[in-house]
Amino acid sequence: MSLRAVRWGGIGLGVLGVGLTILFHWQVFFWVPTEASMGIVQRIFYIHLPAAWVAFFAFGIVAICSAVYLWLGEEKVDHAARAAAEGGMIFTTIVLTSGPLWARLAWGTWWTWEPRLTLTLLLWFIYLGYFLVRSSTENRERGRKFAAVVGIVGALNIPLIHMSVLWFRSLHPQPVVARTDGPQLHPDMATTVFTALGAWTLVFLSLFLLRYGVARLEAQAERREAEGRGMAPSPQPGMTAP
Amino acid sequence: MMNRGLLTPLLVLLLGGAAFLVPGLLEAQAQATGQPPEGARQMRHFWHVFIAFGIAWLLLFGWAVSIARRLARVEEKLQR
Repeated sequence: MSLRAVRWGGIGLGVLGVGLTILFHWQVFFWVPTEASMGIVQRIFYIHLPAAWVAFFAFGIVAICSAVYLWLGEEKVDHAARAAAEGGMIFTTIVLTSGPLWARLAWGTWWTWEPRLTLTLLLWFIYLGYFLVRSSTENRERGRKFAAVVGIVGALNIPLIHMSVLWFRSLHPQPVVARTDGPQLHPDMATTVFTALGAWTLVFLSLFLLRYGVARLEAQAERREAEGRGMAPSPQPGMTAP
Repeated sequence: MMNRGLLTPLLVLLLGGAAFLVPGLLEAQAQATGQPPEGARQMRHFWHVFIAFGIAWLLLFGWAVSIARRLARVEEKLQR
């Protein structure tokens, strides 16, 4: 994929994402009915759940790209993994901040060490480790390989987070959207959730593509700089000029 | 002059702290004045919703800005 296509793809998805985001904000604040038992604070659900979905999606991309990087050694795939990991961290932070703001009024506590919350916090720390490991070695390629392993191991936590409410005693409600018998929500609430899911997936994909493009340009600049110093770096397997 | 790299995490930390401080202060105020009336209770709900949405958009906007800044820096480097 050429850099031009990456950039225009990112901008195009961004425009669509912002449009859908405006729609979902209108739905959240002016259209969707207020939930009877929790009241207005339940509207946090419309960012909490899509943020969790996008975070899992992003870390899924990290795991796949990390596995491909370990297998083929393609530098571009590592750039994609790093871009997705940044997005995953952002969206997990949204989950971890919006959750307590909702929980304080719904459960009466900001935080409790129940399985889903604890595993989500663990996921955040694993991917924080992903970035720390990358920069912890002087050998850049070794850092990337270590990070790729962390990226794969971290993704193993995702099914655990999803299943934790079914397997363990938990304060979190049972799934209401991702169910085998379909979403158990008021139709207007389901519509809002799916609009928000679409909007944030597009926003994430847009920023992910743009970040990936920047990472490729940074690699290109580093290669030029090394060549300028007369230390042409030995090309890595699969590394091609963008 | 403060290191520009430190500015973003510091801002996130300050806003994150404020996000938990404001509802906490409202709660303390409600406790001090007894049971909050319906209007105050709804106000607290609104505060929590707006802070949650605010943090989300701040984080996403921050990521977009950081990408744009990195792009400008690397393009400048490549043009030199």
